[in-house]
This record gives sequence, structure tokens and C-alpha cells, in this order.
Amino acid sequence: MKLTGKTLVLSAALALAMSVMSGAAKAETMILASPQAPEGFDGDALKAHTQNVVTQVYENLVAYGTMEVDGITTLNPDDLKPHLAESWTVSEDGKTWVFKLREGVLSPFGNELTADDVEWGWAKSFEQKRTGNFIARVSNVTGVKAISKYEVEFTLSAPSAIFLNALTLYVPGIYDTTEVKKHATEADPWALEWMQSNTAGFGAYHLESLRADDQAVFVANPNYFGGQPYYDRVIYKEIPSEASRVTLLKAGQVQWIDRPSINQVVNMQADPNVKVQRATSRSVAAARMNPSCEVFSDTRVRQAFNYAVDKDALNTAVFAGQADIARSIVSPIIAGSNQEHFAYDFDPEKAKALLAEAGYPDGIAEPVELLYSDAFWHQEPVAIQVADMLKKVGINAVPTRITSSEMRAKAAPAEQSMCFFTWEDGPIVLDAVYSMFLMTHSTGVSNRAKYNNPDLDALIDQGREELDSEKRMALMDEAQKLWAEDAPWILVAYPATFEAMAPNVSGWVYYPDEHERWRELRGD
Amino acid sequence: MSFHRFLLRRAFMVLPLLIGVVFITFMLVRIGGLDPVGRLAGPTATQAEFDSIRENLGLDQPLWQQFGIYLGNVVQGDLGESWLSNRPVMTDIKERAMISLELLFWGVGIGALIGVPVGLRAAFRPNGKFDQVTRVLSLLGFSIPTYWLALVMIFVFFYLLGWAPPAIGRMSLLVSPPEMITGSYLIDGLLTANWEAAWSSASHLVLPVICLAIVSAAPIIKQTRAIAIEVLASDTVRYAQACGLPEKNVRKLVLRNSAVPVLTFVGTEVTGLVGTMSLIEYVFAWGGLGQYGLNAIISGDFTAVQGYVLVLALFSVLVFVIIDIIVHLIEPRSELN
Repeated sequence: MKLTGKTLVLSAALALAMSVMSGAAKAETMILASPQAPEGFDGDALKAHTQNVVTQVYENLVAYGTMEVDGITTLNPDDLKPHLAESWTVSEDGKTWVFKLREGVLSPFGNELTADDVEWGWAKSFEQKRTGNFIARVSNVTGVKAISKYEVEFTLSAPSAIFLNALTLYVPGIYDTTEVKKHATEADPWALEWMQSNTAGFGAYHLESLRADDQAVFVANPNYFGGQPYYDRVIYKEIPSEASRVTLLKAGQVQWIDRPSINQVVNMQADPNVKVQRATSRSVAAARMNPSCEVFSDTRVRQAFNYAVDKDALNTAVFAGQADIARSIVSPIIAGSNQEHFAYDFDPEKAKALLAEAGYPDGIAEPVELLYSDAFWHQEPVAIQVADMLKKVGINAVPTRITSSEMRAKAAPAEQSMCFFTWEDGPIVLDAVYSMFLMTHSTGVSNRAKYNNPDLDALIDQGREELDSEKRMALMDEAQKLWAEDAPWILVAYPATFEAMAPNVSGWVYYPDEHERWRELRGD
Repeated sequence: MSFHRFLLRRAFMVLPLLIGVVFITFMLVRIGGLDPVGRLAGPTATQAEFDSIRENLGLDQPLWQQFGIYLGNVVQGDLGESWLSNRPVMTDIKERAMISLELLFWGVGIGALIGVPVGLRAAFRPNGKFDQVTRVLSLLGFSIPTYWLALVMIFVFFYLLGWAPPAIGRMSLLVSPPEMITGSYLIDGLLTANWEAAWSSASHLVLPVICLAIVSAAPIIKQTRAIAIEVLASDTVRYAQACGLPEKNVRKLVLRNSAVPVLTFVGTEVTGLVGTMSLIEYVFAWGGLGQYGLNAIISGDFTAVQGYVLVLALFSVLVFVIIDIIVHLIEPRSELN
């Protein structure tokens, strides 16, 4: 063949194209070591590690934008962008929303996303009455209907300021119903059986194979509308022993380990073969006091308990100094958090004085049980340390262990029978009103300790329907102040979220559901 | 007693034992403070949702009624469905049994191959140098916590020296498993000429097998030594020695007379190593029956725990029957009873 300028240019272009193509087609596998392999893939019926993986498979109509804070990329809770939806309109009364879907969005099975898929997913959640139904309830959604192939209408019982935030979640999910319906039966119309070990979403990954109690292998959705992710294969491997997980990461055999304990975080931070990243968490660890119990019925007693506890010492002793001290029930990563109102700095003398005012001049000799369980690793050390600090001001607090399921049952909305206990709670919607509603409203499911202040309820209810951002924030500022004065919890810390990964992994962004998104990670 | 009658009698004796095992595990997991409902319900569940899950699982029924239903199903070979994964417990156990048996076979096999000759040699020269050294070593093997031993071995042979593959399960995640025939990656790899899989599987077996071999060899050494010393002091052996039989022949006699008790002991070892196996599987992410049982216990999966314990009981019975048969073959004078 005669080499001409034209053939040279052509072959150079071909070589370039081939190298780009081979770059794109390069197989990159990420091995993720987790204490457990996922036990199910239905976002409405969460089982062990379901949430970690459905977040990779099911994406929603709306997504958060990101922003840089101190060199770290975080979600911007104020920036809600179209995702599977292209745009939306809202009626004047704020109760009817119509979403126009992005066209040409394909599942790994090659089926196109339609409005029917959205309607079906919500109908499933309403029917199952589990996680998705809860999300629907708090965002006032009463009905979802497909009005054309690409248009879906949401009906709300009242305007909701967190409705769009709720549409960033993995549940109620958007399923490829063309595929799912193939596996539905008369007895199982939602194909829940099939979903135990299969996925069908429009997200970046889908489940390729599952070996129960061993590993789940995910592959990139070849038709993903957002482009191909860096890792085209993710092996979610069960490595039950944490020591083994850490050794594997240090030796470069796995690229990611799931939620290391604080001791291992400190150990890995000193190792150049591991990258540990940290984010202030949305949730708050606290010792909660139940105002309906006699001893805690006086606000001054609750305030005294708060003054008696040295939060700095707790952070050092329990959280290895890695947590952020909490000064509001609303985490500082949520817009509208005010860290000024909860000003109970360690002051044992003031605690004693308040106790005396409340009729306990010699402290509280009657034993006050401080319950804890193993639902969160810090519950026990926090309970023991807090009880010790309370003893120093004459309060006879007795740390007492119960099982986590007993604690959950006793903290359930209908019961709320514990007087004093340690726990952690946080919102999966980054919004001050949602946080306050969830944890402080008398009907909030994470209230758990019968705290009830009608004035505060009124402020929150007003906030839930107020769409003007500034007014909502002013209402929530007022609400946080009121709550701080009532001091129903001994606020301890935002425990911080840590992720440990291979040093070359980048792109991690903290999500309020505490699960990384694999499609954002890179290993180059 | 004929072989058939022996088997029949064994089966008859085993029945009440198994019913007892079923009853005790059933009661223990229920009064042990394990409650799967909290975990199944999830963090946002209301009391009504808690109650409905309890009802769906049949946990609102009286205990004796729950037991009756369970026993009825077990008799028909149905161990129920896991409450957490909804998979049939029987299927899960079948899938994992071979995985654990493979490890157990190599671990105890190598443990016995080392333990028996070492124990015998120590017995021939009691309090000699060899005996003293092995006594210290077997004491070490006895007292080292398995969990710690496994972690240290991983740290030294994988992390520091790089000789062993990572503790990431039965074979490299980047090698595709061989076609399933027996369930053992090593054997299936060899049978299907998938050399890569067979090699990967063999190399991943090394560390956990060594761990198990160390843990099982220690008591075998000690017991074999004690048995052989006893045999050496027996009338038969002393008579043989008195008759001036060569040392080689005397040793053969000792070996023959020790075989039955040693074999019986190794049998009890096999059934006794179940707890150790769970820990080794846990550390090496082995994915076998031991890990399954441990997971089930930790997460309060009642049906899985019950199935696991029942299968272990059956396994113990089976091992003892096999030992009886082998003993009968070695020592035809012994009655099958």
C-alpha cells in the first residue's frame, strides 16, 4: 500500500479512535468488601444491605446537584435538578405536579422508561405500606398517574416543601415494568419474589449474579442515560470479619470497605495504602429523655442533665475525637441548622443548681435507668460515660442493656415507653423541616420519647406547607430555639461518616442515605 | 448382628435424639432474646407494621402450636424458609454443606496424618526430647484461640510475606468458578480441566486448612500418645516383648491395637470441630455452612438456626455410624452395636 498523506491521516485517526474505544471498553472491576452480602433488592422491604445496592440500581426523577466545601464535593440540598425527569410544572395551589420524563432512557433490558413505570412503582409502595409508603406520607403524595407516555402527574393532599427532595430517593422506585411484569403472578402481582434476587431499574448498574451470603455481582447498565461509569463491574463481597476487610484493603485486594468502625478508621488513617474520607453526618447521637416520665417532666431537670454532660470529653473518649459536637437536632450539613440555640456547655455547678430548683437539692438518688442496645456501636460507651458524668452531680443513672429489637419496639410511635435511652437518628431528606418533623413533632416516627410541644408542632406544620424558603428557615430557626429550651435530649455528637477506599479511588460524594454511588467513583 | 439390623437399630435410636435436638433448638432460639421482627420491619416501621410482620411469621401463635407446625414440616423434609432471605433453608444448607465438608476433610485429614504418627512416636519414647517438644507444641495448638490464629496467619503469610492468597473466600474473585459437579471448586476444577480454577481453589485452601489442621492435630497428638502408652503397657504387648519379638513387630502390634480407639477419637474430633469451623469460615469469608450458621445466630433467623443445628446433629450421627462400620472392618471381632 502506498503511503499518502491521506492514508496517514486516516490511519492516525483510526488509531486514535481505537485507543479511545479501547479506553472506554477497558474492563474495570471494583471489589467492595462488606460485612454481609445483600439479602434483597426491594427498596420497600429493606433487608440487610438492600439499601447499599438499590441506590445503585434505581434512580429517580430528581437529583441533587453538588458543591465544593473546603475542597470536598458534597451534595447541595438547595440545588434540585431534573434527572429521569426533564422538567416539571406545578399548579398554583401547589398540589398538582406534572413531570415530563426524559425520552430515550433505557434499562439494561433495552426497555424505554415511560410514565407507566413511574405510576407502577408508586402503586407498589402504596400497596406494600413500608418504606416507600412512609416517604409518600411525609411528602403528602396521595396519587400518581400516567397522563401520557412521557408525562406523569402527582397529586398532593397539601403543598409540600420536601416533595422534590423525596423524589431524589431510591424508593418509591422506578422499575422497568416491562421486565418486572414478566415475573409477576396472580398471587404475587408486584413480582416481589423475583425482586429477592433480581433488579430491573434505569440506573447505572444492575445485578448480574447473586450467591446468597457470599457475593453479588453488579455490571454497568450498557444503556445508561448518564454515560458509562468508570467501573463496569462491582463485586459486592461478603467478608464477615472486619479485621480481614481492613487487611484486604491495605493489601490492595479490595478497593472499598463498607462502614469501618471508629477504631479501624484511626488505624487506617495512618496507613498510606488506604484513603479514608470523612463527612459530617446528617444524624445525631443523643441520650433521650421522655418528658412523660415523672423524673423528666420538669424542664429544669432536663436542662440540668445537659449541663452535667461534658460533650468534649465524650467526643474524645467515645468517638476518638472524630465526631462533631452537636448543638442542634438539625445537622449542620442541612440548610437552616442553627448551632447557637443549644448552649448547654459543661457546667456541673449549674446542673446542681437547676436540680435544686426543681426540687432535688441532694441530687436524684432513685435509680434512673439509661437504656442502650447494640443497634449503633456508640450506644453502649455513650450510655456508660453519660451515666458516669451524671453520677458526679448526684444523679443515680444506671446504664442498662436491652436487645436492639426490644429497643426498636419500645421506641415505636405507638409505644414510646422508654424514659431515658441512647440512640441515633437522622433524616434521609436533607431538609430542616423534614428533620424537625421526623424527630421532634409529636407524630414524627423518630420522636421515640413522647416529646410533645404543641407550639413546636404548629411551627413545623406551618413549615411543611410553606414554600417560601426564607420563611421556612425563619420558622425552623424558631423551632430549634424552642426545642433547645425544652432540652428533651442530651445532644452528644454528629458521629461522622467514614469511607475507606484504595488510594487511587476518587469521586466519592456523601449522600444522606450514607451510601456511595458507584457511578461517581473512579480508579485512575 | 447383621449390617441391616445394625443400621435399623441405629436409625431407631437416633429418632428420639433428633426430636430432642429439634425441641431444644426450637425453644432456645425463641427464649434466647433473638427477635428478627425489629430487623425485618426497618427503621420507619410503626407498631402496626411490627404486629403485621409478627403475624405473618406466625410468631403471634402459642409456642406449642408453632412447634407442632415446625415438627410436621421437618418430618416431610421441609426445614422452612429463612425469615430474612425467604429462601428455603434446605436449599441453602445443601449448597453450603459440600463447601464446609471440603475444608473439614482436608483440615482434619492433614491434622490426623500429622497427629497420629507424631503421637505414636512420642509414646514410644515417653519423656524423651521428641515427646517434650511435641507436648509443648500440642499444648500451644490447644490453647491458641482459633480466631486469633487465623488472623495472624493472614497477616503474616498474606500481608507481610505475600505467600498466600487473600482471605477473600474459596477462590480469586477474578477467576470464574468451574461448572458445578460436586460443589468443591478444587475437585470440579480438576474434573472439568479448569486448571486455573483448580489452582486458585487449592491456593485459597492452604491457610484455612493449615489453621484447622493445627487446631485438630493438637488433641489428636495428645490422645494418640495416651492411647499408645496404654497399649504399650498392655499384657499383649508386654508378652510380645517378653517373647523377644523384634521392635518392628512390636510397633506394628501397638499400631494395630491403637487403631480403634484413635479412630474413634478422630471421629469425635470431626464432630467437635464445628464451632472452630464457623470461626475459620468467618475469618476467611469461606461462605460455608459454619458461616451460614453463625450469620443466622447473629441475625436471629430462627428457621435457619434450627435447620443448621438439626443438620449438625444428623452429621454427628452419620460420622459415628461410619466410624462404627470402619471399626468393624478393621476389627471384625467387634460387634456392630
